[in-house]
Amino acid sequence: MAGSVKVLKRPGTEGSYVRAASKGLGVTLKHMIRPYKVTQQYPDEKWELAPRLRGTHRMAVHEDGRAKCVGCGLCPTVCPVNCIKLIPAEDENGERYAAIYEIDEFRCIFCGFCQEVCPVEAIHLGVHYENAEYSRERWVYDLERLTELEHPYTALWDPADPTSQ
Amino acid sequence: MTEGNDLINLTIDGIEIGVEPGTYVIDAAERTGVLIPRYCYHPGIPSRPAQCRVCLVKIEGQPKLQPSCKMTAQEGMVVHTASEEAEDARKAVIELLLVNHPLDCPICDAAGQCMLQDYALETEQLRSRLHEEKLVQGRDRIADDILYFADRCIICTRCVRFMSEVAGDEALIVAQRGHRSVIDTFPGRDLDHPFQGNIVDICPVGALVHEDFLFKARLWDLDQAASICPGCSTGCNVTIDVKENQIVRLKPRHNPEVNSYWMCDHGRKHLVMSNRGERAEVPLIRRDGRLGAADWSDALAWVADHLLEVTGGDAVVSPEAANESLFFLRELLDRLGIGGGSFRVPTGEEVTLAGFPKLALRAERAPNAAGAELFGFARTDDPAPSPAGAGLIVLEDPLSDHEPEWGEDVGFFLYVGGRLSSAARNAHAVLPVTGFAEMQGSFTNFEGRVQRFDQALQPPGLARPAWMILSRLIAELDARRDGETAIETPLEARQAFSAMAVATPELAGLDWDSIGPKGARLAAAGEAVSADVT
Repeated sequence: MAGSVKVLKRPGTEGSYVRAASKGLGVTLKHMIRPYKVTQQYPDEKWELAPRLRGTHRMAVHEDGRAKCVGCGLCPTVCPVNCIKLIPAEDENGERYAAIYEIDEFRCIFCGFCQEVCPVEAIHLGVHYENAEYSRERWVYDLERLTELEHPYTALWDPADPTSQ
Repeated sequence: MTEGNDLINLTIDGIEIGVEPGTYVIDAAERTGVLIPRYCYHPGIPSRPAQCRVCLVKIEGQPKLQPSCKMTAQEGMVVHTASEEAEDARKAVIELLLVNHPLDCPICDAAGQCMLQDYALETEQLRSRLHEEKLVQGRDRIADDILYFADRCIICTRCVRFMSEVAGDEALIVAQRGHRSVIDTFPGRDLDHPFQGNIVDICPVGALVHEDFLFKARLWDLDQAASICPGCSTGCNVTIDVKENQIVRLKPRHNPEVNSYWMCDHGRKHLVMSNRGERAEVPLIRRDGRLGAADWSDALAWVADHLLEVTGGDAVVSPEAANESLFFLRELLDRLGIGGGSFRVPTGEEVTLAGFPKLALRAERAPNAAGAELFGFARTDDPAPSPAGAGLIVLEDPLSDHEPEWGEDVGFFLYVGGRLSSAARNAHAVLPVTGFAEMQGSFTNFEGRVQRFDQALQPPGLARPAWMILSRLIAELDARRDGETAIETPLEARQAFSAMAVATPELAGLDWDSIGPKGARLAAAGEAVSADVT
């Protein structure tokens, strides 16, 4: 039974370390000369984000500052994690609007279905990911907060390659 | 194949069918399983103007397409509902209807139940070929609680014809002509008819909308339960639409024996309004002079202990209680030596629907007065005085117009109900029961028709159906008296119903399944009406 064990031949002890050590130092020197940086100084330097990154929601507004949402209820219907709460009502002009519109960003999985399904292009995901909060309640964004955000909207498709070829 | 001298045989889309003379092609097709699109045709409205042109079909041997709602079936007729010619014509009709239609499905209350939406999708018209601006006509209040969205309207005139032919009140007209046609009230007239709400139900699109339902809910969020309207003793078959455990609206359910396709406005509002207010959620028993919460087994044992001492007294029931509840209450009263018992029925003006006289908003505004009489309760007008020193059981009557001290002098006062008015707070024990929409059960309508209703809402707290509580109370009482009980304690309404049917001669031969969703007459117990799909 011992005969089936394969014994690897190890390198001899007579070789010098100098060759291997210089090779390693060579890599170090190469990186010292080349101005190629991996580490990013994050809070001071921000990432350049892809236009299709799906992050924090934003609500589009009309010129007069009203949210574009018509309260149709398609986003809470399509939302796979039920993170959107919508109660529609009738405004003074008899139009349907969202009396209460809340998105729980903590529960959201950022699938982007709400943006895809919105018939009036009101709710968007945004190119934005920095949303730390001191309390969980603050993660539920109401309509006022969603309309005040200013980061760019997520693009639903790559502008350079609209058909995803 | 159906053979017979009095049947007419025709072929629809390759399926042969025999129908009675005078049957229209559109109805014959429905029986073979082919649903021909229709807007202006409604089976409940007598006239068939054949004006929407969406039901056009190809009939062999006839040079032009024919409207199937207007063509009576002829012997040997060969109909193609899906021929290329018919499909093209249908597609053109839909395209023309969509010319000025705003396509505001996302904010339209009919989205999901809209025939225009369905057929537009079916004919794959997702984009309009029209480049002109759409005509915008806005909206109008056509009645107190009904809004009219002129842009969505396709001028099928179902509402106009319902008002003139079924309601018998020519309050609505088509005003203007051509693409500017709108539905309007007759000049100088208002739409104010007790059955006007039906025009909203028959509107094939979202042009007519009830204001109380406007923007309330998307139709796919609603839960539905087949039920009976509790607004009067007619017992219209209805569907209760529920959102988040709140009743949002009632819609009539087709039953040719009771209400056809219609129901009155009183019924539409009655249940939505009556479903509010505070409710008793746990059993309450009086200890040291105060009502305090108890769990069901303690409460039933406590009540049974006290009922042992009761001999004689009175009972007050509500004509909104189900047959099953009334039956078990009668069983309990028999054991306590209480005969009689009374109920009061709210009354109002009787209004008959001219085009379907069988249907009326009856003067008797309670669903189960006939059932209460069936189980030996007597009709009274004034609140009965409380029986001093004796037993008193109240079933579901809210006691809202009784004096606050009513029932104080009673020997043992048991209140089986959900609403605690000041008179009800005098009870020695309160057993919370489910309201009408929160349980299954059956009602007996004015002509002795037993109809069952399903649960639509989740009951509050520990409330249970009255038949369930009363049957257990009887079992507890029997166990204390001679150790044995002859009564079954039902877990489901169907068991309660069969226990009731066995013990009640008038209900002999009926059971939960045989009365079906459309009900059965007490007199003609053997011939239960079977369900038909509408």
